[in-house]
Amino acid sequence: MPKDYSISVRVTILLLFLLAAAFAAEPRKITVYAPQASYQVDILVRDGVDYAGLTDLLEPLGRLESRPEGKKLVLIFNGGAAEFQDGKRQYRTRSNARPELLSNFLLVDGRGYVPVSSIAQLLPHITDQTAEFHAGPRRLFVGSTQYKYSAELRHGPSRLVLSFPAPVNPSTLIERDHVRLLFRREPVVSSGADTVAYNDPFLRSTNFAETPGGAEFVANLSQPATVSIGDGGRTVTITATVPPAVAPQSAAPSAVESQPHPAAPRVRPFVILDAAHGGSETGAVFSPTLMEKTVNLALARRLQKELESRGVSVVLTRVADNVLTWDQRAVSANTSHAVLYIAIHSSSSGHGVRVYTSMIPSPQPGQTNRSFLPWELAQSPFLQQSGVAASALAAECTASGLPVRSSSVPLRPLNSVTIAAVAIEIAPLGSSADELNTPQYQQKVAAALASGIAALRGKLEGGQ
Amino acid sequence: MISRKLQFIVAALVLAILAMGFYLVHLKRKAELIGAGPAPEVLTAPVSGPAQELTLYLANDSDDSLRPVTISSALPSDPGERGRLALHTLITRYLQKDSTHPLGAGADVHDVYLLDPASAVVNLNAAFAETHRSGIEIEQLTIFSMVLTLKAQLPQITRVRFLVEGKTRDTLAGHVDLSGWLDVGMVAEASK
Repeated sequence: MPKDYSISVRVTILLLFLLAAAFAAEPRKITVYAPQASYQVDILVRDGVDYAGLTDLLEPLGRLESRPEGKKLVLIFNGGAAEFQDGKRQYRTRSNARPELLSNFLLVDGRGYVPVSSIAQLLPHITDQTAEFHAGPRRLFVGSTQYKYSAELRHGPSRLVLSFPAPVNPSTLIERDHVRLLFRREPVVSSGADTVAYNDPFLRSTNFAETPGGAEFVANLSQPATVSIGDGGRTVTITATVPPAVAPQSAAPSAVESQPHPAAPRVRPFVILDAAHGGSETGAVFSPTLMEKTVNLALARRLQKELESRGVSVVLTRVADNVLTWDQRAVSANTSHAVLYIAIHSSSSGHGVRVYTSMIPSPQPGQTNRSFLPWELAQSPFLQQSGVAASALAAECTASGLPVRSSSVPLRPLNSVTIAAVAIEIAPLGSSADELNTPQYQQKVAAALASGIAALRGKLEGGQ
Repeated sequence: MISRKLQFIVAALVLAILAMGFYLVHLKRKAELIGAGPAPEVLTAPVSGPAQELTLYLANDSDDSLRPVTISSALPSDPGERGRLALHTLITRYLQKDSTHPLGAGADVHDVYLLDPASAVVNLNAAFAETHRSGIEIEQLTIFSMVLTLKAQLPQITRVRFLVEGKTRDTLAGHVDLSGWLDVGMVAEASK
């Protein structure tokens, strides 16, 4: 009898544990590194197979049109068409080849899903770019995006110099016996052996591992160290803070004993565009097939291209259909080193463009942008600059023949953004919400906004 | 071999699960019956006395404007009830077929409380928020028209907070922030 009880108790505990784990588990994602952008795509599990949304995967990589036709999905990417059939493995590529997926294609609510295991094989057929998928850490590299680093141990003072082919900005965790560098945004990959033993008085060993959504480099040390980033973000140097007690034995001194490079000026974006809503948070629903989140992202992308063609540097808070909280959006803006934040919304009601600033009290006398303020009033010292930005955008829209209304509104995350911040909401010129998604109208609005933003360059940068 | 005692325990657990399941179905049916019935009418104290001016700030979606319209109505002397009646009248206008700013069916205001002479709390019903159209301008027009209508009846208020079924709500319909107090002066300024 005790044995029966023991089995029952164990089975119950196991079931409860599995249940808790299922609830606690974060949704799994694929991290995509591409020349155009780095982004994440949610994984959908069907019949034990991991799937990824085709639109989520391809939208940031180029011009995409997706058209469900019954059980068929026609995909037009940068002008080339591919066809998929719900429940079938075989698909037709732009070159009329008929390769097969490793599991069946899924068509759910007009959206196409492909097995994650087939992505690396599928992408070159559609995008004409190479793709490499690291299944364990769920990292997908499109084109030649991988950063392979080199590590060199130098002395006088003892230091480990990591060199990267492009600027990196890792999160750094320094403890007494190790330094941990976390690369969340950069496509850093192993450059050879993942674990290297040094047997040096300063550095015992290093270990590199890819993790879901990033990569981690750990230097195991025998003494405390500091971390510095130089050469415009291309080198990360881990330097001993106390001279080693014993002279170096195994590692030969480096032939090149260079002084630390002065940090090169990093290119900072002028504007951060925030396509409002995303993922399950759809915003307004204009029709069964058109949602605000989609229009916002399309307009943000179009505006990005317009700005880049005018030489204005841009970053986007989201480039795919994913959820971001208001605080995440504000933090992205506040840490982007941009000068201007623009939230992009759309509405089927009214006409033209609305430009909004935050409806919070003006700064108190003596309050500056370095004053300590509550999170929900952080925008306060920047209200004047936001007003300047709103006026410039409204003026340019008016000049382009678009009806414009300017106002202030209680709208998150504007209140918590610590740079000039405005929100725009576009509405159709006519009575149909479909106009919001037409390339012609979006182009007209994007061109007007881009001209307004470009005109702000001298005005806002001086105020920072 | 499973012991008799363990068999008894498992049988009792299965019976308990079945009983709870039946009770759950019973409760669900009961809730559906209650929900399917006629909506409870809002009881208001009869208002009598001389007609007074009631200014409503009516929103117009076609040109994003707020226009004051003055009507005559008997109004209670209690400030909270007076505010509630003003907003109820405004919402009734929005629910009419020819409304320039339509609200969803069933939208209404439960109560208006004055925490102190300058702070008003408006408690909306669930239908008001759940059926509201989504968009910055649309939501802003609704909230601003209510704040200005309230201010017209209760000139002493300087700030207003909106609750839905007595609870704080992040946004009205995904955009306008309802989580904090709205400054009446700033609303009036932004509405110009």
